[in-house]
Amino acid sequence: MTVTSLIEALGLDVHHGGNGNVHVSRGVVGDLLSFVMGGAPEGAVWVTLQTHVNIAAVAVLKEIPLVILASGRIPDAELLERCRKEGISIATASDSPFDLCGALHDLGLKG
Amino acid sequence: MDSRYEVEFKVRGDDFLAAGEASNQIKETLIMLGVPSPISRRASVITYEAEMNLVIHSGGGILRAIITPEKLTIEAKDQGPGIPDLDLAMREGFSTASDKVREMGFGAGMGLPNIKRNSDCLQIDSLIGKGTILTATVFFHQGEGNRG
Repeated sequence: MTVTSLIEALGLDVHHGGNGNVHVSRGVVGDLLSFVMGGAPEGAVWVTLQTHVNIAAVAVLKEIPLVILASGRIPDAELLERCRKEGISIATASDSPFDLCGALHDLGLKG
Repeated sequence: MDSRYEVEFKVRGDDFLAAGEASNQIKETLIMLGVPSPISRRASVITYEAEMNLVIHSGGGILRAIITPEKLTIEAKDQGPGIPDLDLAMREGFSTASDKVREMGFGAGMGLPNIKRNSDCLQIDSLIGKGTILTATVFFHQGEGNRG
């Protein structure tokens, strides 16, 4: 499915929308940056509780098109600005990481 | 690709706002040179972890990528405190990072293991009080090095 359709299906609060036509089929969840850097599939959707600017650097290098901040977390101003600059979609979900990953799995995304 | 291409970046210590920019520019350089995606993806893990080590542990340093038709060499050089026990530093989960850095999601003790996993050759030379030189090599063709 596309980033746009995924955002709509989950009812996410979008802070910045990048390229919504990118297709996503994989996901990763984690707050340890080296875990995501070393283990995330390229192009995955990333679920995290981290809200600082260094999220964007990892997302760029791993070609992650959409970062979802779980449990109602709001991105720091620097993170939002970097996502705008790099064309990364970033959104907030009220769900916990656990529930969010369940919903992503139900939508057909795999780890 | 020319026979040799080299890019070099100065990485500032504790500058978390700029952290990752050198790795991103190296990745863009590799893509521009037509380096295959599987190689550039491995290179991104190596450069990012090496860059973050410079930011977090070393007070900054130099990150360099050297590309030849046969291989990519990534070098991280610093004049930081050095690594007292290299075997321990290579162990997954071991880290000397501060609590503040750990709260940001760094310092999980996965940096050097990530570099090793994605390198065909890895050399680390470190002197206490003098600094560290990390040299990671990725070969473009199979059979030119031993992963790990």
